[in-house]
Amino acid sequence: MLKNVYNWIDERLDITPLWRDVADHEVPEHVNPAHHFSAFVYCFGGLTFFITVIQILSGMFLTMYFVPDILNAYKSVDYLQHKVAFGGIVRGMHHWGASLVLVMMFLHTLRVFFTGSYKAPREMNWVVGMLIFFIMLGLGFTGYLLPWDNKAYFATKVGMQIADAVPYVGPYIKQLLQGGDIIGAETLTRFFAIHVFFLPGALLALLGAHFIMIRRQGISGPL
Amino acid sequence: MAHGHKSNEKVIYVGDSRVKKPKSVGSDTIPPDYTAFPGKSEAFIPNFLLKEWMVGCVALVGFLVLTIAEPAPLGYPADPTNAAFIPMPDWYFLFMYQFLKYPYASGDYVAFGILGVPGIAFAALLLAPFLDTGKERRFYRRPIASALMLLSLFSLFYLTKVSWDHYEHELEITNTIPEHHVREEKAREAWEEAQANGGVPVEEAVIPIVDEDDPVMEIVKANCVGCHATDLKGNESANVPALRGVGDDHTKEELVEIVTNGLGGGRMPAFGENLSAEQIDQLATWLAKQKKAE
Amino acid sequence: MSNHDQNAHRPVKRNEMSRRQFLSYTLGGATAFMAAGVALPMVRFAVDPILKKKSGSTLIKVVEESKVTNEPQEFKFKIHQIDGWYVSDPEQTAWIRKDEQGKYYALSPVCKHLGCTIGWNTEKNNEYVCPCHGAHYTIEGKALSVAPKPLDEYELEVKEGWIYLGPIKENTRV
Repeated sequence: MLKNVYNWIDERLDITPLWRDVADHEVPEHVNPAHHFSAFVYCFGGLTFFITVIQILSGMFLTMYFVPDILNAYKSVDYLQHKVAFGGIVRGMHHWGASLVLVMMFLHTLRVFFTGSYKAPREMNWVVGMLIFFIMLGLGFTGYLLPWDNKAYFATKVGMQIADAVPYVGPYIKQLLQGGDIIGAETLTRFFAIHVFFLPGALLALLGAHFIMIRRQGISGPL
Repeated sequence: MAHGHKSNEKVIYVGDSRVKKPKSVGSDTIPPDYTAFPGKSEAFIPNFLLKEWMVGCVALVGFLVLTIAEPAPLGYPADPTNAAFIPMPDWYFLFMYQFLKYPYASGDYVAFGILGVPGIAFAALLLAPFLDTGKERRFYRRPIASALMLLSLFSLFYLTKVSWDHYEHELEITNTIPEHHVREEKAREAWEEAQANGGVPVEEAVIPIVDEDDPVMEIVKANCVGCHATDLKGNESANVPALRGVGDDHTKEELVEIVTNGLGGGRMPAFGENLSAEQIDQLATWLAKQKKAE
Repeated sequence: MSNHDQNAHRPVKRNEMSRRQFLSYTLGGATAFMAAGVALPMVRFAVDPILKKKSGSTLIKVVEESKVTNEPQEFKFKIHQIDGWYVSDPEQTAWIRKDEQGKYYALSPVCKHLGCTIGWNTEKNNEYVCPCHGAHYTIEGKALSVAPKPLDEYELEVKEGWIYLGPIKENTRV
């Protein structure tokens, strides 16, 4: 039955090569931890992706309860964490996942750097990877404000002062991020939009580019 | 397998559309192979992915244990007037936060602090493949790139550590408990109280201000609300007591003493010089009236 | 992904085949474990509203028994509503009447047609009338025209001379 459905679709769209390419490509020995234990350093990229998936899912679920408004943001976070079943776990996943994804990405970056994997022909993939890194930092920064507790507010204030100190354009950047003269209601909705739509959109596009390039170029060879 | 600019090796991109695939075995695509690499290679699915996902399972279990053991912190609602709060960015921005405290990265040099060092460092990182163009991949054969990276790593760790230590030190000297801990502790106490009470949560009644129209409120507004908050509820996270209900804890004589000479080594300042004895007497009389209405 | 189906076509050696199948099953198991570990807390989090224990119905003191007559009268009362992180006391309306046997009942003013608010005797024919689409109900709440169902009733209790109203239920009188 399932096979027939699959065949029906495959006849029309020829989808087999798409996933066969991913499924059957050979993975060389030097990245396989079963052959060389030290090859576990090659796992960090995959783990980064896994935690990114967790971040996207838990974030989607959190928005079921969260309100980006200065009067209700804190109350809704308080509610979802303490009154909703598993709320503490889901918010915990999102909170700690944010840190973990940065740690994993950091380790992945170091692996790529110290194995020289960014060298020709993979320069573009390194640049895309670094852009992903910056986007992740941006997600961390914008996400930090959303619960609207003192920690969120004052950390954002510090961030805004740093933005403000950039020569010439600083005040404009600050104004644009804040959406007004103070950190308040307009900042919160802005950060919410950036955190939930703009940066994840860019992240997905870059991740797609990252993976396509890995498939086209293959993993870098042994040292 | 270094592929430098003038590499005379033939580069084989796996899955490259330019590499002709032999069309022999029916519709089955031949998986691109790694014959260019020595050793045993294996298929991505299921062989390799299984190994990768064993690591993934271990990571997931560890992660879930972390989320259960350590709830995500949540402090008190943002209060822009809270002067006692020690602001801290999330840990991954601490290095930047710390760096901008140094003399040549702040004040008149703040532009240099922001754009100069971190700007150049991040730009260099972004463009690393175009700066380090040699064929050599082993890190010990490209000392400049590796040394710069190690130096940056060292400074990252060092700055983060210094910043964190400074924060801990600050907490210690101001005798502050981070408010998400305070909040968690309170929640736990409330829960225990509720359990002892037979599962009924005890609602904390707000203690009203007694005699709010008293002329002495002028003195209070001028001197006290800066620390004890405009609603006189104090500031829990900074360990500033509430003035509401203060009459339950102290007698009028004690209050005169505290207001005149201060308390806790200057944490509560001495007002003996700023206020006349008569004013202090009025204030203490009023404060002593602040009792829970029962 | 239907790995096994595809592999079945491949003329591979038998022992090789079983190893591959074993790996596939293990991989499937690992995938299921990871997916469950990630998704279960989130799904439980999302479906919490349907699993939450309904808070016991609280009765609200509305009006003195003596004020209720055979003629339906409109009474307003406030309920304490906890809606997630919003706590409010919205006002509700009930049409309360004493029937011929001296039993009290309270009808909800929400029209069962499209949810407008009905009024008593606005057309002077001793019927509840909805101004939106002309639905009519008898004094008992029975639908005469347009509406598919009779008017809802409030749970009602009489204690110490006062009428208490509870949550809305389906009409039990018609």
